Order: sequence, then C-alpha cells, then structure tokens
Amino acid sequence: MEHFIETIGRNLFAIFGVMALVGALLTIGSRSAIHSVLGFLFAMLNIAGCFLALEAEFLGVAQILVYAGGIVVLFLFVVMLVEMSKKREGEVFQLQSRYAVVAVAVGVVMFLGVFRKVLFGAASPEALVLRPELARGLDVAHQNAQAVSRGLFADYLLPFEILSVILLVALVGAVALAKTERV
Amino acid sequence: MPTPTLIQSLVITLIQCLLVVIFVFVVVPLTVFAERKVLGHLQQRLGSTRVASGHVGFSGWMNRRMWKMGRVPVLSYWRGIPGLVGDVLKLILKEDIMPTKADKFVFFLAPSISMVAAIVVFAAISFVPGTFFTLPTWFPFVGGLPVSGGIADINVGLLWILGVATVGIYGIVLAGWSSNSKYPLLGGLRSAAQMVSYEVPLTLSLLAPVVLSASLNFSEMSSRMAIGMPFWALVPQVIGFLLYLTCGFAETNRLPFDMPEAENELVAGFHTEYSGMKFGLFYLAEYINMTVVSALASAFFLGGPWLLPFGLQGLLNPYLPGFLSWFGAPHAIFFVAKIIFLLFTYIWVRGTIPRYRYDQIMAVGWKYLIPLALVNLLLAAVIRCFAV
Repeated sequence: MEHFIETIGRNLFAIFGVMALVGALLTIGSRSAIHSVLGFLFAMLNIAGCFLALEAEFLGVAQILVYAGGIVVLFLFVVMLVEMSKKREGEVFQLQSRYAVVAVAVGVVMFLGVFRKVLFGAASPEALVLRPELARGLDVAHQNAQAVSRGLFADYLLPFEILSVILLVALVGAVALAKTERV
Repeated sequence: MPTPTLIQSLVITLIQCLLVVIFVFVVVPLTVFAERKVLGHLQQRLGSTRVASGHVGFSGWMNRRMWKMGRVPVLSYWRGIPGLVGDVLKLILKEDIMPTKADKFVFFLAPSISMVAAIVVFAAISFVPGTFFTLPTWFPFVGGLPVSGGIADINVGLLWILGVATVGIYGIVLAGWSSNSKYPLLGGLRSAAQMVSYEVPLTLSLLAPVVLSASLNFSEMSSRMAIGMPFWALVPQVIGFLLYLTCGFAETNRLPFDMPEAENELVAGFHTEYSGMKFGLFYLAEYINMTVVSALASAFFLGGPWLLPFGLQGLLNPYLPGFLSWFGAPHAIFFVAKIIFLLFTYIWVRGTIPRYRYDQIMAVGWKYLIPLALVNLLLAAVIRCFAV
C-alpha cells in the first residue's frame, strides 16, 4: 500500500503529462469550438499539475491564475460570441486543412529537434540557479515565490520590463485597430 | 511528537477534508435559513415560520414553555428550520430536466466545475496557525497525531485561492452557453464580464496585505496582519477591507451586483434551464463562495483567528493582563465568528441596497474601485517602506 502510493507520487509528473496530452488532442480533435476550448483548459490545468509535481509551486499556481483563469476565459468569450452555423464551421475547417498539415509538419520537425537536444544532448555546463548572494536568508526549495521574485527583480529586471512594454504595445495596438475599424 | 508515516499523513488530510466539508455543509444551510429570516425581519415580515414541526418538536416544546412563562417565544426566530430538510429533499428528488437542444456534456459539466472550484479553495485556508488539535490516543491508526489548522498551508496559498476561484467562472459561462437559450447565454456573458472586471480590484486590494506582510502564505499573512503591524497600517487595512468586501460581493454575484440572475431582465440568468440537483450545485457553490470571501476578508483584514480586527490585537497584546491571555491567543472560534458576521453582512446589504444597472456596475468597477485600490496599494507600500 505504502509502496503503491509512493510509486504514484514519484510518477505524478508522467500522469499529469499524459493527461495534458489528452487535453491537447481534444483541443485539435473535437468538432465544436467550445469543446476545443474545454480541452485546452484541461491541458492547461494539467500542465499546472506538472509544475506542482516538480515542486515549482509558484509556476504551477501562476499557470492556473494566468492561463486557466484569464486567457482561456477570453478564448471562451470570443468563441461564444462568434456564432457559426455547423455548415460554415465545417467549411472553414476544410479550407484550412492543407495549410494545417504543413504547419503541423513543420512544428513536429522543430519539436523533434528540441526534444532530441533536450533528451540526448549534453547538459548545460552550469545550472541556472539563483546567485548565492541573492539567495541569502532564503530557503529556496520551499520559498520559490520569493526566489523567483528576487531573480526577476535583481538579475533580470531589464528583460522583465521590456517584456511588459511589449505587452503594453500589443494592448495599445489592439485598441487602435478596434477604434479605426469603427470610425 | 511522533512523525506520521505517509499513509497516516494522508489519513489526517482526509480527516481535515471531512471537517471542512462538515463545516461547509453546516454553515451553508444555516446561511440560507438566516437569509430568509433576516431578510424577512429587515422587510418587516416574519420570514419562514410555517414549518415548525407543530407541537411535537423541540421548537414546539420551547414555544409552549415560553408561552407558559408568559413571554412571546424568542425561539420563534428558529421556527422554519425544519423547512430546510424539505428544501434539500426537493432539490434531490425533483425531476432533472435536460433541454433537448442543450449540449449534453457541457450542460452536465458546468455545475460540477462551479462546485468543485468553490470547495477546492478551502485547501489553502488555514483556520488557526499551527496545530488545531491533537487526536486522542484511542483513535484508530492515527491516534496521538496533531491535526494542523489548514489542509495544505502552501507557500503560495493566496495565489492558489485566487487562481482556483477564477476557474469557477467557467461554471457560469458554460452553463449559460450549453443551455442553448438566449436568456441564460446573456446571463452567462454578463457574469463573465463582471467577474473578470472585478477580479482586478479584488486582487489589487489583496495586494496591500501581501505588501505589508511580505508573504503569500495564508497563515503567515493572517498572523502578521493581525499581530505584526504598526499603528499606521490601520489606514490601508480599513480602506482595503471595504474595497475587498465590495469586490467580493461582485465576485459572488450577490446583490447589489447580482447581474447574472437579474430576474426582472433575464428570468434567472445562467441557471434558467437548470433544475433538480444541478441547480442545487450552483446554489451551493454561490453560498460556498460567499463563505470563502468572508474567510479571506476576516483572515487578512479582520485579524483572522485573533480577536481584534485591523491589526489592533498586536497593539493591545503587550498590555494584556495575564488572566485575559485567552483573548490574546489565536482561536478557530474567533475566525468562524467573523465569517458568520460577514455572512450576516451579505444578507444585511442585500436587504438594504437596491440593484445597480449594468453600466453602473462596470463604471464603479473600472473608474472608482481600481484607482482607489491602486492608491491603497501605494499607501501600503509607503508604510511598508518606512514603518515596518
């Protein structure tokens, strides 16, 4: 019994990973757009589970908060508002299938390359960890929210700010596009 | 202190989950009952009084005693409680109608998402810091082991609560969509827009305690906010409390913000097509969400398991004489009392303030609450910088 539970605990990552794959398959395989969004939500929640299984609590919870809580809600919103009849929906999907095959093929090749590099390539010469002087007085293994924040606001402050400016640009661009369309 | 084995700790977690479920299923029906009675008295009615087990039950016996003593029976406040059993039976036994053109799977999924998201939030809520109680030694298998005050007092507890609570939105949106009918769809869309908008000021108002206490852990935050704050932290706490409570009312879709089920415009909003226990799950989820919002408000602003709100306990504790030390220590009973008071406030506000128009709700959320919450956050940051 004890052994069985420990085995499950060690393999939680694999379990969540397989379920995330199932969610991803549902996303591309289901007929209705809403079901696709639900599959996507399922995949996102399971990826959060993967992070939690790796003891990266902050990343896991941020995954739930940002993707499951924010972005997928907006997807759902858009999909619900875009009412397509079954026939037109089918046509749209048919039209895109040729390009989709090409895109998937390119994606598969790229990801195979990445996986080959990750699985069989040499490990990086030094591990990406918090600088020891930043980690002072911090139990990094258990306080990873604090550890992430220290790294983000000390070593990587400039990339972090640039990223937020890029997001702001996207936001301003969306508002500008929507405004010009209406006038 | 013996260290528990893996299975023992799992069993203890199971006991904690059981306690939380019992707590929820005691508090929620009593809130429903209190809503009828308090709302009745606020509107100068008596509320539900008819179902009172006649002259045979406990309340009948008490009533006869009171009349014999020559007084109007105070326990008439409790008349109507047996009606709750009837309500539950009605929810369980009623015919479960599935609209013909509904999306069967999503229609079935939506209430369960609402319910699960509402109750899973309790995993990160700790009722009392440290050990809640120690199991007696005669207890089978896990005797003599301590039971902590929260199920999983994780390092990012607050983020967990906020994240899982946002998943609850899907229940409402999907219910509105899958019913395949206009009123539920409009109700679902409205509520999604409202909840997404009000999540921003809600999170911002909770950031003030995060800044002041420098933690994301639930019990650490509540204890630092209760007993570790300087006097000046009183100001952002009071403002933050009012902001949080307003946004909490909007998040749980309660009056004066109950747009999703504005019955004079949208029949019953997103759950128009639901009946039987599926409707019951939505109903339960709403009240559980109210309990969660109350729990967060009382933990971060009202002092949590300590007696006094707004960090006053920490200022008072050094002057507390020894024989009153019981009042200076954390107790789960204070926490639960504050939750119950805030649930009463929910009903109180419902009986006092009429419903907003939809554009008014959005204007209040975006134009007033968000800037106020930002100013409050700034205030908290200044106090954190100079006073803590």
